[in-house]
Formats: sequence, structure tokens, C-alpha cells
Amino acid sequence: MEEIAGNELAIEKREQAMLELADFDEVVRVYRPRILRFLLSSLTDRDAAETLTQETFLKAWAARQQFRGDSSLSTWLTRIAVNLMRDHLRSRSLRFWQKTRGASLDVLDISDWIPDGRSSPESQTLARTQVAAVWQAVDKLSAQQRAVFVLRFVDEMELDEIARTLGMNLSTVKSHLYRALAIIRERMGGAR
Amino acid sequence: MKFRKDGKNPVIDQGRDEIRELAEVLGLYGSAMRHLAERAPARPFAAGSGPARSFHLRLLLAPALTALIAIGILVPMYSYSHHHNVIAREHAKVAEQTAAAVANVDDTVLMNQIDSELSQDVPDALQPLADLSAQATTSTTVSEKKNASHE
Repeated sequence: MEEIAGNELAIEKREQAMLELADFDEVVRVYRPRILRFLLSSLTDRDAAETLTQETFLKAWAARQQFRGDSSLSTWLTRIAVNLMRDHLRSRSLRFWQKTRGASLDVLDISDWIPDGRSSPESQTLARTQVAAVWQAVDKLSAQQRAVFVLRFVDEMELDEIARTLGMNLSTVKSHLYRALAIIRERMGGAR
Repeated sequence: MKFRKDGKNPVIDQGRDEIRELAEVLGLYGSAMRHLAERAPARPFAAGSGPARSFHLRLLLAPALTALIAIGILVPMYSYSHHHNVIAREHAKVAEQTAAAVANVDDTVLMNQIDSELSQDVPDALQPLADLSAQATTSTTVSEKKNASHE
């Protein structure tokens, strides 16, 4: 009985995802901020993040016929974005002569936005420095580590959701997150 | 690990503080990134839009530029080494010819020397006959003279 109910729910979800995909403008409107947030946090390069966000939706639009609705639209789009981000990082590492990135985010852009609920100006300054250190440390993470880290701490996903999105085992996700946090912690040591 | 009487361990407390601080900073980082993404202006989506194509173009241009730079470096290097090799080969050829010429000269001199030595030391094969005919002529002349005086 439960199995039948589960199957019906899955079919319903799939139909809902397919319906959602039919109005692609709406898909872009709803999911664009999330994809841009993921790419912006992962790449720390505004221009590349915006371009890859467009690219994500272009790929999704081109492959919309192949979408079977096995996963949610959000998961599917995030997976496309992760693959594009990985390719971009790979090509960036090959472009060794390109020392500076055109529209990379300034540390001030990130650290300027800190809630004012802090007790003293000193603690605010410390918080800004630490946030900037985290942002800089993300650039040192591998593609997998940064994907897991950003999905966990920026998109606030649960670990099993991250595993589904990235097509990894839960233990692999935990391992990547552990290593990412170790690097972040190490880098933050200098910011204290 | 020693615990104090009040049940607190300074090492554990410090670790907890550190983790709490890290969690707080990560929370702030997440908020800052979400805020930045919200602030970014929305681009209208159109299939096959310019920026994506220009991005593709850039991805294509990068290897092309690499190839050009590689050609720019490798061709002069190759031509230099080729030129260098040609010069080296010419040098080797000239040296070979010189050695051959020297060897030829030496051989000629040696042959001449051998010839001269041979011509000096080895007598002519018909020399004895020449002596004999000379003796015969002399003896004929003497006997003729004797005959004439008798007459």
C-alpha cells in the first residue's frame, strides 16, 4: 500500500517538474537567483558566474526534451551548473597566462555586507576580516570541495540533498566537506 | 586529559569556542553571498544569447592563441637549430675536404719520394747489355788498330 502511494507521489512529482519545465521563462525567473548564487560563491568572479548562469539555462533549454523528471528541476539545474563550474575551473587552470580576472569580486564587496547587530566596531572589523578570509579560501578549494562547501553553507542544503545533487555517496560528501572545512579553518587562522 | 574540579576542560572549551566562531563566520559568509547574488542585476534570458557565445568564442580562442604562441616560439627555435645544423654540417664537410686534400698531398709526396728512391737504387734492367755492347765496341776498335799497325 505504502509502495503504491510512494509510486504515485513520484509520478506526481515528475509530472509537476515536466509542467514546470514547459514554461521556461518562469523556470529562469524562479531558479536563476539560486544558480547565480551558487556560481558566484564558487567562482568569486561575477562575469564568469553570470555567463555560466546563462549557459546553465541554455543547456537546460537545449536538453529539456531529455529531462525525465527523476530529480527535481532545482537538482537538475544545479547539477548542470556544477559541471559547467568544473569545466570552467579546469580551463582557468590551463589559462596560466591570465593572472587577473576581469570582474572578480572585491573582498570589500563581500565583507562590506555584515549585519550591524555586532556589539563593537572591533568585533565588526574582525567579522569582516574573517568573512573575507573564508571567501579567499574558497578559491583554494578543489571543484568538488567548493561545490559541497557552497551548497552546504550558502544554499544551506542538507548533506543527503547535496549527495543527490552532486551524484555522490553521502560519505564522499562528508569527506569533501571535512577537507574543505579544514582548509577554511587553516586559512582563517591567519585572519584572527 | 585532566579535568578540573568544576568539570570544565580549558582545551575542550577552547575547541568549542573555535567551532562556534567558525560556524558564526560561515553563517555570515553565507548571508553575504546570498546578499550579493540578490543584488546582481537580472539578465534577460534568450537562447543563443551573445555573452554565452562570446564565452564560447573565448574558450575557442584561448587554445588558438596558445597554438600561435607555441608556433611563434617553436618555429624560430627550429629554424635556428636547423640553420645551426646546416652550418655545422658545412663545417664538417670543409674539414673533411681539407683532411682529404692534406692526405692527397701527403700521398703524392710519398709516391714521388718512393719513385725517386726506386729510380736511384734499382738499376735499369738492360744496363748489363749496354755495358757489354760498349765493351764489344772498344775491343773491336783496339783489334782494328792492331791490324793497321801490322800492315
